[in-house]
Amino acid sequence: MPVLRFDNVSKVYAGGHQALREVSFDVEPGEMLFLTGHSGAGKSTLLKLIHLAERPSRGAVVFGERNLHKVRGGRVALHRRDVGVVFQDHRLLLDRSVYENIALPLILRGMRRREIGKRVRSILERLGLGERERALPTQLSAGEQQRVGIARAVVGEPKLLLADEPTGNLDPTLSAEIMALFASLPERGTSVLVASHDLGLVKRMKKRVLVLDHGQLADDISPEDLADA
Amino acid sequence: MHEARVHHSGPVAWLDHHVYSFVSSLGRVVRRPWATLLTIGVMAVALALPLGLWAVLDNIGRFGGELRQSREIAVFLKPELGLDRAQALATTLRGRGDVAAVAVKTPDEGLRELRDRGGLGAAIDALGENPLPSVLLVTPRGDETALAESLSALPEADQVQHDAQWRKRLDGWLRFGGRVVWVLGLLLGLGALLVVGNTVRLDIQSRREEIGVLQLLGASDGFIRRPFLYLGAWYGLAAGALALGLLTLAAWSLRAPLADLAATYGSHFALAGFPPPVLAGVVVGAALLGWLGAGLVAGHFLRQTRPTDA
Repeated sequence: MPVLRFDNVSKVYAGGHQALREVSFDVEPGEMLFLTGHSGAGKSTLLKLIHLAERPSRGAVVFGERNLHKVRGGRVALHRRDVGVVFQDHRLLLDRSVYENIALPLILRGMRRREIGKRVRSILERLGLGERERALPTQLSAGEQQRVGIARAVVGEPKLLLADEPTGNLDPTLSAEIMALFASLPERGTSVLVASHDLGLVKRMKKRVLVLDHGQLADDISPEDLADA
Repeated sequence: MHEARVHHSGPVAWLDHHVYSFVSSLGRVVRRPWATLLTIGVMAVALALPLGLWAVLDNIGRFGGELRQSREIAVFLKPELGLDRAQALATTLRGRGDVAAVAVKTPDEGLRELRDRGGLGAAIDALGENPLPSVLLVTPRGDETALAESLSALPEADQVQHDAQWRKRLDGWLRFGGRVVWVLGLLLGLGALLVVGNTVRLDIQSRREEIGVLQLLGASDGFIRRPFLYLGAWYGLAAGALALGLLTLAAWSLRAPLADLAATYGSHFALAGFPPPVLAGVVVGAALLGWLGAGLVAGHFLRQTRPTDA
């Protein structure tokens, strides 16, 4: 069963702007794929529909067995705990330490403090941030901040990780490092959907690519086809 | 809906969240002393005004109660009636259903009272014999006007004095004042609610980005709302305490001149403070008011951030 299914999804905003037009695709468990397209193609809207910042105007977004149309009220928060999100601007809480930022999703899940400590320190080690747990985000480099953002997104072991232009502000070396990190997540059962307009980076990763053009799914390129291109 | 792949620990986590909200909200209050003082000050004045008026009315009511003899009906007996007849008539009246009590004031007692009160000692001595009649002080049970009329018809009665009119007027004013206190209390309570609401609204605006991040991470409405509820409760608690402090200061400054004024009426009247249950009620009520104001604003904000159907 796909971890995510878009079934003829359209989104029209209140002002009449049509951001998505009958988009359909599936994401399999443990799959990593890219979402690309020009600015305004609908990438961010598509991600917002998945973490329920927006709702579709038509069609269905199904997450596992969960039709997101039926997710209302307090269940929106529960759904979001199954979806990790990484942003281009990290969106870290600047008055809290690295440790506290990463611990937040686990606190929200009501996990015990001891278990939180174990998990946070484990992921800090995995991402090479072991020495930085007490630092404030403002004391970190851009690459470190992005790694903290990723750590916070994956510490709760979400079923799906969404990344919106995660390498937008990073140099090529750091970008490659972050992408390698994403590529390692499917081994742990997390599917990864990365929105990026950096075509060079997308091609280098040799993963499935969804291409959006003016809100329509213009192409769905498999890794094999990408290699041949 | 399947759950996230971590375990929930129920009440312990709930308690953890509350402790976190409790401490962090207190931290926010302390970190912004001027803004906090202004909010608490405005709220305290809004609470102190109706409370002060209520205290004044309560004291006036008590003062009126001290003069309860005005409710008594004085029956001046005919001068030729002796004390035996007066005692016998008092016993008869005590048996009536519309009479609560009867006290007999003898002519000698009347004369002594007159001498003590009026400084008329020399003039009274000049009279020679006591001109005062026996007086029955009748405390009514029920309709005092009807009783006064009935007592006037007694053949032993020379004159019946019943000064209840001023007491009725005072009761009327006290009832009116009581209603004014309620109306003022409601209006100023609403004002206090709006003050807290506006302060919390500004706090929410300044933390909008942080709240957005928490929501994306899966924070429930309760988790986001809780620190603001505690913040409102802190404001209310401090404002309630400050309002009581202000009223205590006001009462302290009025105590001496009021005692002097009461002395001129031969009274030992002193201002009464709030009893402990009322003190506790004011502080707890103010905290609840703050909690409610914060809850309304936070709830409104959270409703606005929910995903809507296009």
